[in-house]
Amino acid sequence: MPALLKQFGPLKNPDHPLLALGLEGSANKLGAGVIKHAPDGSSMVLSNVRHTYITPPGEGFQPRDTALHHRQWAFKVIREALDSAGISLSDLDCICYTKGPGMGAPLQSVALIARTLSLLHDKPLVGVNHCVGHIEMGREITGAKNPVVLYVSGGNTQVIAYSRQCYRIFGETLDIAVGNCLDRFARVLNLSNSPSPGYNIEQEAKRGKRLVSLPYTTKGMDISLSGILTAIEAYTQDKRFRPDGLPKFTDDQDIITPADLCFSLQETVFSMLVEITERAMAHIGSKEVLIVGGVGCNERLQEMMGIMARERDGQVFATDERFCIDNGIMIAQAGLLGYRMGMTTPLTKSTCTQRIEIKFDRFRTDEVHVTWRA
Amino acid sequence: MAAPATGDWHTINVEIPLPSNKHALIVKQVIEVDAELQPNAVKRELSVQDDRLIATFHTLTVRLARLTLNAFLENVDLVVRTIEEFSGNSSTARRTLQGTAE
Repeated sequence: MPALLKQFGPLKNPDHPLLALGLEGSANKLGAGVIKHAPDGSSMVLSNVRHTYITPPGEGFQPRDTALHHRQWAFKVIREALDSAGISLSDLDCICYTKGPGMGAPLQSVALIARTLSLLHDKPLVGVNHCVGHIEMGREITGAKNPVVLYVSGGNTQVIAYSRQCYRIFGETLDIAVGNCLDRFARVLNLSNSPSPGYNIEQEAKRGKRLVSLPYTTKGMDISLSGILTAIEAYTQDKRFRPDGLPKFTDDQDIITPADLCFSLQETVFSMLVEITERAMAHIGSKEVLIVGGVGCNERLQEMMGIMARERDGQVFATDERFCIDNGIMIAQAGLLGYRMGMTTPLTKSTCTQRIEIKFDRFRTDEVHVTWRA
Repeated sequence: MAAPATGDWHTINVEIPLPSNKHALIVKQVIEVDAELQPNAVKRELSVQDDRLIATFHTLTVRLARLTLNAFLENVDLVVRTIEEFSGNSSTARRTLQGTAE
């Protein structure tokens, strides 16, 4: 690649303002957002609307029910996103939707709507990789130049570094995602799923005093979490465990409370995440960390990452729940970047891909050709 | 793949009247993108005649016939409601889904 191109990047400023609608529905959040890219190269979030499918305490979200939720709320959410952006569908330059990875039925529901809108108003479709959406939105909001990305959510746990038009996966979870681990433990404790189980774990953990012993399972660049979940669940059967967090009698000192367990779980798994992130930073010589994904709005994780980054003379970039948790605007942002490089998805190719595992029909973060970066 | 789409297989024909030929084509094109999840056990043919969407399913079992038709009708419902909500001239897209099953 010529030096000049490398310096400025392949992305040219648009000659007129571009508008994109992003539709996201890969898990229990349904999101719609409108972004504008101006001729001076700046971006502006015009709207960002989300509706979350919240299940009763102790229950997770099932694909079919989640798809039903999306089908019920889609019009309201899309309408609100368009109205608060002050535009109509005919003003758009492209319609972006989450192609994957995620849960099949919810993904398909949103894709059906995206295709219909695309045909109705004759707008090009852009299929977006969910993980790349998170990364691009994080970069846009925080202004991080070339960070190591820690992508932590209910379905994904990956340490990612950019190199030669590809977001390469440095390390990842070998079994369940960190958000899944926290959410499932929240279910064991019967914590509320509103606004999110992870948030309630975080609040509970603030009152924790005792660090119980748990396995610490980093495996090179990867981590394993399912064993930790089993171990922490076992503590709820321990005879020292007090579900109400109160001593049974005076002098009942040696007790384990739900708050202690939330605290211990967070400390252990976040330490592991910080360790593999630090290793990735050392590998590529970067001093920036960008945290994206739903777990990324956990302030304790941000704090621990900050301590590590400061010791390396580095810096942590994180966003709040509007952009961390799944949203439509990130799909619009990544989709519009692709659209500006001429990447659109023909209708007949506008399918969805569920899987992230190494299988035949997969759509991993590192399979996207990041044409818009040098 | 074993048996052809005849003999023991079950057949469902559905005709869905839509407000216009354009709408019928949109529904067909949108739904056609996703392949059936079990191509060995479910065959789907979609076509449009004037303002009607015509779907024919051949399935290996009765259970699959029920599941396939359910999923298909749910998808048609979603697409039709999307057209109704976002086409601009929303009054036209009503009175749909009066299909006939044989």
